[in-house]
Amino acid sequence: MNDSSAFGSRTAYLVFGLAIFLNLSACHPLASVSIADESVPSAEGAGATAETSTIDSEQLPPVDPAVASPQGRSEGLVQSFEKWLDDKSGVAVQVIASVLFWEFTGRQDVTTAVEDLQISETELPQLVQQVSERLSASGQTPVAWNRELMQSNLNAEDLSRFEAAISSIVERLRPGVESLAEELNVEEANLTLTVPEGSMTPEAASLVAESLNSAYTVSPLRNLSIKFSDSESSSSSTSLQGIRSGIPIVVAWLAAGALFFTLRMGFINVRGFWHAIRVTAGRYDDPSDAGEVSHFQALSAALSATVGLGNIGGVAIAIGTGGPGATFWMIVAGFLGMSAKFAECTLGQKYREVRPDGRIMGGAMFYLSKGLAEMNLGALGKLLGVLFAVLCIGASFGGGNAFQVNQAISTVQNTFPVLDNVLAKFCVGVVMAILVGIVIIGGIRRIASTAEKIVPLMCGIYVAACLYILLRHSSEVPAAISLIMSEAFTPRAGYGGFLGVLILGFRRAAFSNEAGVGSAAIAHSAAKTDYPVREGIVALLEPFIDTVVVCTMTALVIVITGAYDLSNPMFAPYIIGNKGAALTSVAMRQEISWFPYVLSCAVLLFAYSTMISWSYYGERCWAYLFGDRTSLIYKCLFILCVVVGAMMNATNVLDLSDLMILGMAFPNVLGVVLLSGKLKRDLDDYWAKLKSGDLDREAESYRVN
Amino acid sequence: MTVVVPIDFSERSDFAIRSAMSIAGDPKRLHIVHVLSPLDSISPGVLLGDVSDETRSSAVMKNMQTLAREQGASGADQEVLFGDPGLQIADYAKKINADLIVIPSHGYHGLKRLVLGSVAERVIRHAECSVLVLRRADAE
Repeated sequence: MNDSSAFGSRTAYLVFGLAIFLNLSACHPLASVSIADESVPSAEGAGATAETSTIDSEQLPPVDPAVASPQGRSEGLVQSFEKWLDDKSGVAVQVIASVLFWEFTGRQDVTTAVEDLQISETELPQLVQQVSERLSASGQTPVAWNRELMQSNLNAEDLSRFEAAISSIVERLRPGVESLAEELNVEEANLTLTVPEGSMTPEAASLVAESLNSAYTVSPLRNLSIKFSDSESSSSSTSLQGIRSGIPIVVAWLAAGALFFTLRMGFINVRGFWHAIRVTAGRYDDPSDAGEVSHFQALSAALSATVGLGNIGGVAIAIGTGGPGATFWMIVAGFLGMSAKFAECTLGQKYREVRPDGRIMGGAMFYLSKGLAEMNLGALGKLLGVLFAVLCIGASFGGGNAFQVNQAISTVQNTFPVLDNVLAKFCVGVVMAILVGIVIIGGIRRIASTAEKIVPLMCGIYVAACLYILLRHSSEVPAAISLIMSEAFTPRAGYGGFLGVLILGFRRAAFSNEAGVGSAAIAHSAAKTDYPVREGIVALLEPFIDTVVVCTMTALVIVITGAYDLSNPMFAPYIIGNKGAALTSVAMRQEISWFPYVLSCAVLLFAYSTMISWSYYGERCWAYLFGDRTSLIYKCLFILCVVVGAMMNATNVLDLSDLMILGMAFPNVLGVVLLSGKLKRDLDDYWAKLKSGDLDREAESYRVN
Repeated sequence: MTVVVPIDFSERSDFAIRSAMSIAGDPKRLHIVHVLSPLDSISPGVLLGDVSDETRSSAVMKNMQTLAREQGASGADQEVLFGDPGLQIADYAKKINADLIVIPSHGYHGLKRLVLGSVAERVIRHAECSVLVLRRADAE
């Protein structure tokens, strides 16, 4: 969205504000700004300088009506600013805040004056005017908003008073910005200011941009940057680029699918839970069944793919952008997803192929093509199968690879700042690529199987750490929970509204537990069992463990430590930069100072095991399309993506990953819904047998033998 | 004559074994061969389960015995090889001084065949003995 005319007046004032910072010359700031914009007369304001010489330099004077009246000032300037407020531009707020701050740290005698200030919307213009004039008169140079600097210059009381003053300004103008966001209907916006060449030095430009960025707390504006126009023109412009999310339809699809399965299968996610535990524990294992792994091993394998950076990092981002309410919807999505997982993994088992060498080939592409062919929808089935395979390959490059590596690196960088540069990212990417390559191309299984075995342990450690943090704050837990509940239904402004929060919660849950996506069916089809439904019931546990347990742990920690708060400069850069795992690390560091090191190890391990598992899913899809013998091509591409993913920008990786994984859901859910009739019959048969005790007797006979 | 018949357990394998039997006459001069791709290293079965080349070989052997019996070739020699099918078959035939390889024209079709070519083509190129290519009944 580019609309420089609508923001022209804002530009004028902003450039004015920037000129204040620069203090290019001892004369009145307005005189130093040459703006081609007609709304602001330039040189006329210079006449006002003389009137301000009476201002006492020791303290800000009370607002003097005679001096403050619009007629006594540059009319155009005040009108511009008022128009700005009408335009509900939040940037103006930050300019003012930064100006005040500048004043505050530069001149500590201002302390008492600020505390007495009754800052109202009509007085703001006058205040800024006076401050700017005094600053220009005193020849001060700007200081970037810097918490450490503030803390060193001010005592705690002054600091808190200042912050109170700033937040009251922000709060007063927040509704305006939020309604702007709603009007524009954007999810994320970036603001670029183009200023005339020479109107400020590059250093000043970056200082200003930085202080405005860190000070800016109201979403959806994410990023402000300043560019220099390279023409001779002395006019400025602003452009606001809004990004609307294109994902919701697939999220709605997944949610609808999960809800459908839950209802159609008669809440199997609830009634099958206990049976799932018993099966996983091995009560019904029969080694002579066709298959490659036990129920427990299949569950482990699938879990190692789903438990990854999504649980640690994705959740943090979700809460940062959607507020605590997203947690609730994530849990709901997790519960509903259990039924979707059940459905797809049962089908995966049902339509699997046993090869002559005893190997199992199964997955969504098989049940889509074969299952639908049984229903005389063969052409559709084949199409969906191929579509699924293609998207799964893409997803294995995105969410199963690039996303993992990207987030893992940002977490590690956070703990070891020495790595915070492009070369380090590249090196870490190459190292991970080599480690992955050794396993998937080199065939050295030992590394991967060791990693897979450590994953449950790391998972346990992570959950234990989260529980520890929650216990330490046990008194705050009820409040956190009620916050989550209230935010889930009536979220605070700026989080995208009820629907926005719901979609965000569902999206992150889907990305994390992959329910309805169809990938887990590939792993579960290898389990040793004669009853497809049994494996589906085991698969129920996956979204439970992944989302309802691990993700919720992360979410509670984030909520309790307040790490979702964009106004907190300790956390804001991570939320803005979509560096979720780093955010979690920072949040946990507050409680357990050494945990970031453990978390870095855990994160690297989770990322590695997820990558290995997803390379398997992708390779199976590749083999489905092109045959086993071309797998090497796929594997090389996969390794390339590890390095590319390491270097990419986090936001791009996140969006790309989401797109691919959620895209897979489209053919998968469609196919499973079409096949759900048969599935329900199979489930009822199995359940009847279970209830009648036949299955238990059968299991006994295995053990006796 | 000594005949090698590579099979992939598809429907054409049945026909291939019968054809090879009729040429060889005696099961003892028939060698049924199946080539497996090298073991992957990332599937759950390999990483967590007990899948190995031995388990795969024995499963293939059992299936081959059943197939041979059904096609009237009980007593034929059975081999499981690992690697690239075309080369392995040709090398094996050379090793046992086979006189003939009987092979269906291709087991793949569609996209896979475009990408992979045909095993039969590779066998023809590398074999040192005669090769009989059995056409598909529904060949284009």
